[in-house]
Amino acid sequence: MNAQQEQMTRRILIVDDEDLIVMAMRKYFEGLGFIVDGAYELEEAQALLANYRYDLVIADLRLTGIGGVEGLQIVSDVHQRCANTRVVLLSAFGTPEIERESYNRGADAFLHKPKAMMEIAHVARTLLDQ
Amino acid sequence: MAEHRALDAILQPGGITPVFQPICAVDNGRWTIAGFECLSRGPKGTHFESANVLFDYVRLKREETLVDRACITTALAAARTLPAEARLGVNVHASTLGRDPSFADFLRGAADANEIAFDRLTIEIVEHAPPWDGLSFLSMLDRLRDYGARIALDDVGLGQSNFKMLLDVRPDYMKIDRYFIEHCAGDTNRQAVIEVITRLAERFGARVVAEGVEDEATVKALKLLGITLMQGFYFSEPLELHAVPALYEPARTNLPLP
Repeated sequence: MNAQQEQMTRRILIVDDEDLIVMAMRKYFEGLGFIVDGAYELEEAQALLANYRYDLVIADLRLTGIGGVEGLQIVSDVHQRCANTRVVLLSAFGTPEIERESYNRGADAFLHKPKAMMEIAHVARTLLDQ
Repeated sequence: MAEHRALDAILQPGGITPVFQPICAVDNGRWTIAGFECLSRGPKGTHFESANVLFDYVRLKREETLVDRACITTALAAARTLPAEARLGVNVHASTLGRDPSFADFLRGAADANEIAFDRLTIEIVEHAPPWDGLSFLSMLDRLRDYGARIALDDVGLGQSNFKMLLDVRPDYMKIDRYFIEHCAGDTNRQAVIEVITRLAERFGARVVAEGVEDEATVKALKLLGITLMQGFYFSEPLELHAVPALYEPARTNLPLP
């Protein structure tokens, strides 16, 4: 199996309430050969997590735009279903307390926005290669 | 961002596509179509085309009532052209039956609008959580029966389709979940479970429908267990309306098993 074929078997879930971010990340990771699903809200992500096995989930911490921390719930949901799934949380406003809580729940990385796509991809690949 | 954007897409015109899977009556190596289960798919080109993703999402949003109504409206509008002798099964969450006091009238209105006799309808109760209000749920079932519908309990053997639900609902049909049907031909434990459900159905005066029938060996095993109503890919996958006549017309005259 070559690198491209290996990546084709890997599935990523992108969760963000901003269309453009989901579209950009989907395009980027599909370009790298991953199967990519996108979700815009917590329940949509949860429904996908209930039906597919993901190698990596990249989720924004806040999905409602009104101060929620739905990303933390996604971390918990992921690790209830599959301990091997890697989770990266993104946040533009993450406090040290929230960051600590993310790791407590099982997040593998907590990245502060804005982050270049290349940086996110680097973290994602590092986690997937572990 | 819109709070319910996916829900909006599901509920917009054309968001739900009805599909119909035949429920087959098998006898002496031949089969006919006894009815159709009306199923729903979400917006094409999205992951909501998968019914599992669609309804997991709907349940998480607690919008079962809204979406059940939308699915039924769409399905019955399409089903009006199906032959009048075929029964039509519509899926309804137990929570919808318990929470939506005007559901029976809604359903009667939808059936009337499409010139579908109410006594052709089977209400297939699906659920992953207990009914919100048990008394409302049971009185809704009484009203639906008074109007002429029959009641089926879906996914018997799993989750909320348990003995309590059987006693409460007293279904006309018990649909055995595919979990028990798949691979039952070579699994005596699965056959034992199916046999027990079949005996239970006899005591209840109900008929059994086997879901998830995918091969000839399963058909034979189910026949030996006394089951004649079957549903699954061995007979047909769920079909969009335009594809139904090609299956239905030959099956009207008793087809040999595939």
